[in-house]
Amino acid sequence: MSTHFFGLKDWNFQYSHSLGRNEFGGTGFRNPVDMVVSADDVVYVVNRSREDRPDGVRVTMVTLEEDFIGEFGAYGEGDGESIWPTAVALDNEGNVYIADEFLNRISVYTKDGDFIRKWGKAGSANGELDRPAGLAIDGQGTLYVTDSRNHRVQKFTLDGKYIGTFGSFGSEPGQLNMPWGITLDKDGLVLVADWRNDRIQAFTPDGEWQASFGSSGTGIGEFNRPNGVAVDKDGLIYVLDWLNDRVQILNPDGRFITALHGEHQLSRWGKDKLLSNPDMIEQRALAFTWDQGAFEKRLSDPCAVKVDDQNRILVLENTSGRIQVYQKTDTPVLV
Amino acid sequence: MADQDIALMAHLFRRAGFGASRDDLEAYAAKGYEATVEELLNPETQPGVEEDLMLRYNQSFRESNQARDQQWLYRMVNEPRQLQEKMALFWHTILCGGNTKIDSGYEMHRMINMFREKGTGSFRDLLLDLSKNPGMIYYLDNSESHKTAVNENYGRELLELFSLGVGMDEQFNYSEDDVKACALAFTGWNIAPAYPPFPYGRSQWQFRFDPADHDDSVKTFLGETGRWNGDDIIDIICKQPGAARFIARHMYDFFVADEPPVPSWRQTPPRDMEAIKTLEKAYFDSGYNIKAMLRALLTSDFFKSEDVRFAKVKNPAEIVAGTLRLVGDHREIKPGLWEIAQECTYMGMNLMDPPTVEGWHTGYEWIDSGTLVERVNFASEYLGQTDLPGVQSLVNHLMALGESLSPAQFVEGSIDLVGTLNLTEDTRQALVAHAQEGGDLRHGTEADRAEFTRRAGEMFQMIASTSEFQFG
Repeated sequence: MSTHFFGLKDWNFQYSHSLGRNEFGGTGFRNPVDMVVSADDVVYVVNRSREDRPDGVRVTMVTLEEDFIGEFGAYGEGDGESIWPTAVALDNEGNVYIADEFLNRISVYTKDGDFIRKWGKAGSANGELDRPAGLAIDGQGTLYVTDSRNHRVQKFTLDGKYIGTFGSFGSEPGQLNMPWGITLDKDGLVLVADWRNDRIQAFTPDGEWQASFGSSGTGIGEFNRPNGVAVDKDGLIYVLDWLNDRVQILNPDGRFITALHGEHQLSRWGKDKLLSNPDMIEQRALAFTWDQGAFEKRLSDPCAVKVDDQNRILVLENTSGRIQVYQKTDTPVLV
Repeated sequence: MADQDIALMAHLFRRAGFGASRDDLEAYAAKGYEATVEELLNPETQPGVEEDLMLRYNQSFRESNQARDQQWLYRMVNEPRQLQEKMALFWHTILCGGNTKIDSGYEMHRMINMFREKGTGSFRDLLLDLSKNPGMIYYLDNSESHKTAVNENYGRELLELFSLGVGMDEQFNYSEDDVKACALAFTGWNIAPAYPPFPYGRSQWQFRFDPADHDDSVKTFLGETGRWNGDDIIDIICKQPGAARFIARHMYDFFVADEPPVPSWRQTPPRDMEAIKTLEKAYFDSGYNIKAMLRALLTSDFFKSEDVRFAKVKNPAEIVAGTLRLVGDHREIKPGLWEIAQECTYMGMNLMDPPTVEGWHTGYEWIDSGTLVERVNFASEYLGQTDLPGVQSLVNHLMALGESLSPAQFVEGSIDLVGTLNLTEDTRQALVAHAQEGGDLRHGTEADRAEFTRRAGEMFQMIASTSEFQFG
């Protein structure tokens, strides 16, 4: 937990609980890469798995209270399948959009996981994709895609009609180098994780550059390949600082507030797994005694961050197959 | 540019790397042999593989057991620092640890990374790091070696397989008492308790020295008496003539020409004693520095000699990585490399999982009726794919030889470009006879180009199917 003075409020980021464990199917995640939370508290987790276990490629649906709802999708090139799924977003109706950065296409599913349609074409011309990496959808039904190897953001209608593009390769303000995560704030400002430039950039919906913040490094306000970005309703910015294994929280103008490093405690599915493997209980107890739980608590290759309307901050971890949930609260400062 | 310069450069890159494309060979030949050797010896002067990209598309590389050989193969194919990567393989074949027991992709990578980073430095530093490497401590049971109940496994293998060998010049390098003293000195070198694989994945293992579990008694080791700890043991090992001989023979075997199996080294003299003496001198003159030995080796006449070219049976990693580098596939990150990495296993070399601590039996022992089929099928399958950029480049080079090629010119050009220059006359004649069935080759029209390309792909496949292709 950390408490920070910000204007006339103290923000408080309190660890709440965790969900998930490592599994190739069912109640767990395997090398997950992205997630999204629906209005009714369902978390859609995109599992990339690994090449020798294509059976682990799927989308897991789980409630924030860790009740398993189901899963959909599979490895492959057919309808509803993915090779390298990388990002997920929801539209106003709760339909699920999954980007595949190998097949260079977007697949659309109902909120229950039934396949609806797919679109996308590989290339570098307007409307074509080269490793789409991040997705965001605004309230008017515009889909923003970070088109990573074309170093740009492209806008589409929800059925894939090209609307526009912005960004080009480079490190100048407004230029991009293999962008990854993308999000929209409540006013429609577009924030992009400019991955290989180690910074976050903000644009208007039309692509007019507004701000850049961050630089390469391990210090506060510095990033090492940031791959995800989220914004809460107060405008606080959450940056998934990928190779620094942390989430940095910034105020709306990009100044550092605090960082989350992980405070994990056993999830329900995690407990179930341990209870069915008694030898692991003993091993874990010895290790826990040795490091006071430090390894298990800290973020383990975090790969996505989201924040919902209730100020719940979710951090997805790739190698540990779990989500750590924090709750942001605020209290007025007594002056 | 002289053909012999290209041939020598190809020899250098087959041994000190995993092969090189024709274009790269020409560029290096223009740069010069000595300068290229220095570039290989100083990897820090070259950009390394783009790890951030590798992890971006394969996040499972960070911990997965199963992706371990996939990741290493990617590095062998794409690492600009080729000698550094080859040295990692060199040490892995000698200082063996295996994933069947260690069961941690992270720890296996940490071990290989240690070879990558320390493999051309001081042999003393390498042995010290190896002795503190958690994977090795577990693999050779030093985690089960205690002051009151000594397990001699690590102490024995450190002497027999990792540093001295049983003997040289018909003498023994150490005694059974030395093994016991060595094992005692390493008591207390252990691993801190680690988290299990379930439910969130293993934690990284940590070296832990436990003074309470260390035997601090006076020991006599290789004739020296003192209250030796593990690092003292390594100091004593490194100054032995046997250590210099051990590394020199391994280097000669790996980089120059196949030597007899290690267990016979006590009675069987080196194939080239003068070369071994040169390497031993470099070892002592440089204070046990491996890079100095490599420099002496790679710039020597015995390495450059035509007598040792194609005198080694390629190991499976060299076949697989070398073929991918030649054909230009998987030079960008894309799916499919895991399956290719399994080819090494099918050919008898399960990377990061040698059969025993003794490692793999090399040389002609790589070849049996099953592995030979795998080797031939793999290389010929890829060399026949004329849409791959490396194969396209070979075809273009071949076309550049002239507007019209006779079957004999076509075969000679193909042999030269694939780099299998050691073909016997019988094999050459058989290839020419096959090429003559199609007559002269032209590429003036689109139809001619298509036919030229088809026949070139077929010829590359035939060359990859010769027994001579198995040698590097």
